[in-house]
Amino acid sequence: MNGIADIAHSIQAAIDQRGRTSLLLLAPILLFKTIFFVIPFFILVRMSLHETDQSGAYNPGVTLDSYVDILSSSFIHGIMAYTFRTAIVVTIVTLLVSIPYAHAAWRADGMTKNVLLLTVVVSLLTTLVVKMYAWVVLLSPIGVVSQAVNRFTGADQVQLLNNEFAVVVGIVYMVAPYAILAIYSVLVSIDEDLIDAALDLGASRPRAFYEVVLPNAVPGIAVATVLAFTWSIGAYAAPVLLGSSSERTFAVQVEEYVISQFNWPHGAALSVIIVVIVFVSLLAFFAFIGRRDVGGEMF
Amino acid sequence: MIESTKRRLARRLTIARTRPRETVELIAFRLLYGAVLAAMIAPLLIIVGTSFNHDATLTFPPDQFSLVWYQEFLTDSRWMRAFANSLLIASATTVLSLVLGTTAAYGIQGVDSRITQVLLPVVLLPLLIPPVVIGIVLVIYMSMLGLFQTYVSIVIAHTLWAAPLVFFVMQAVLSRFDWQLRDAALDLGGTPLEAFRHAALPQIKSGIAAAGLIAFIISLQEFIMALFLSSYATQTVPVLAWSALRQFIDPIISVVSTILMLSIFVVLVPIVLLFSFDWVARQL
Repeated sequence: MNGIADIAHSIQAAIDQRGRTSLLLLAPILLFKTIFFVIPFFILVRMSLHETDQSGAYNPGVTLDSYVDILSSSFIHGIMAYTFRTAIVVTIVTLLVSIPYAHAAWRADGMTKNVLLLTVVVSLLTTLVVKMYAWVVLLSPIGVVSQAVNRFTGADQVQLLNNEFAVVVGIVYMVAPYAILAIYSVLVSIDEDLIDAALDLGASRPRAFYEVVLPNAVPGIAVATVLAFTWSIGAYAAPVLLGSSSERTFAVQVEEYVISQFNWPHGAALSVIIVVIVFVSLLAFFAFIGRRDVGGEMF
Repeated sequence: MIESTKRRLARRLTIARTRPRETVELIAFRLLYGAVLAAMIAPLLIIVGTSFNHDATLTFPPDQFSLVWYQEFLTDSRWMRAFANSLLIASATTVLSLVLGTTAAYGIQGVDSRITQVLLPVVLLPLLIPPVVIGIVLVIYMSMLGLFQTYVSIVIAHTLWAAPLVFFVMQAVLSRFDWQLRDAALDLGGTPLEAFRHAALPQIKSGIAAAGLIAFIISLQEFIMALFLSSYATQTVPVLAWSALRQFIDPIISVVSTILMLSIFVVLVPIVLLFSFDWVARQL
């Protein structure tokens, strides 16, 4: 990592090239990000080291108690295991639905393409609350999906809401539009003639997809994987609304600590742990991708 | 382009005639993405349908068409205040994000591309941190600054999210811009500000409008950070919808959802008219 040297070099080059004034234009956004993003994160870390207090949010002092409490609690271990399992299932399902959809949107033209893209964009921009509410309505005992399942299976009453199934559906519904667009934006840069060439040379469609499209789409699929995984780790709305009390994720527990129990050091410590887990997972993922010698295209 | 489409059509015809296996595969593929399309749009359409229910249940299709819940919504002072809060916060977020994002995108143009390569991950990093964590971080920080539960704190939270998006949209817009015009303005003795106003602004006006609309809609729809940072007095529409939803479900939430979705179209239509749809899809 020679990032800082790179930045310094680039800034120097830029100054030589254009004069100082234009780079000053970067100052407002950097200042804003520093004051309201970087500094608050340092305060979060500091907060996680404070002592807890029964009557107030925290006691000044330096201690690792919050971390010890959290990391040794079997209750938190359960939440951790649940969050990871859900994140893995969500990531797999998201990729399975996103890759064909993005591929279809890329190969389609005219009206079909517009409908496919419009749907993704509208879904992406729709607030999370509405999306989760939609599934509450659909999966509730009187909802369309439950009714259909009942009629189809002949079962009397199928429980579709307040379980792990509903949580996975909810998170996939939240992440899929982003995953689709991430894959789509990479697919559009592939030369479509390559596929025509593969087909002309006698490859079947699945074979052409597997040998030509998939290898070229790896950067988009990697971004989709990262988004699906990290966002399910941090999922809050879906587990609260579509799950039961046993579908508890990290984010739900953080909210519980900070808002309900007013225990800021524990909430801060768990937040720090989540961020660390997210970034360790990312590094591991990129190391894995990098070993397959395609990671260079990522950033 | 037309040639390759023609070739593809010709091939499809031959496939349909000569290779039944290919046809089966094609149908399977269509069914697959058709199912995903349906799963993506049907829930939202069903919600719109239930907003026209007459009674308090959420049966679909509605037993009896009625606008009674729309009337209910429009006469409820809680929803109206949340609506006003949402508009205020979204407008302020738009202005702030446009200033921060556009200045940065303008400043970075023509600069060594490596600086963008380094900056890109730094700007994208916040997107990978769970919104609940950012919410909690800001709850703690804003409490210390005495801004907790104010409009200001929510606008700041939304700008953290919207400003990078404006930056990317504006960067894409500015990369198609003819820089010689601005250089000419500078050579003719204009100040940098005059050059921006007379040479650059007319060319990038529509881009700024598009970026502003995107920032507006992001703020309007954002919910988790607003949930943590708002109070009863400053809560936005999605936050109020969330708390209403957790207590009691009735068609008024469908009405609110329909209106929130409608706002997306109001914003999308001018952007799509200004730019192509494909372009919009790739910016987000």
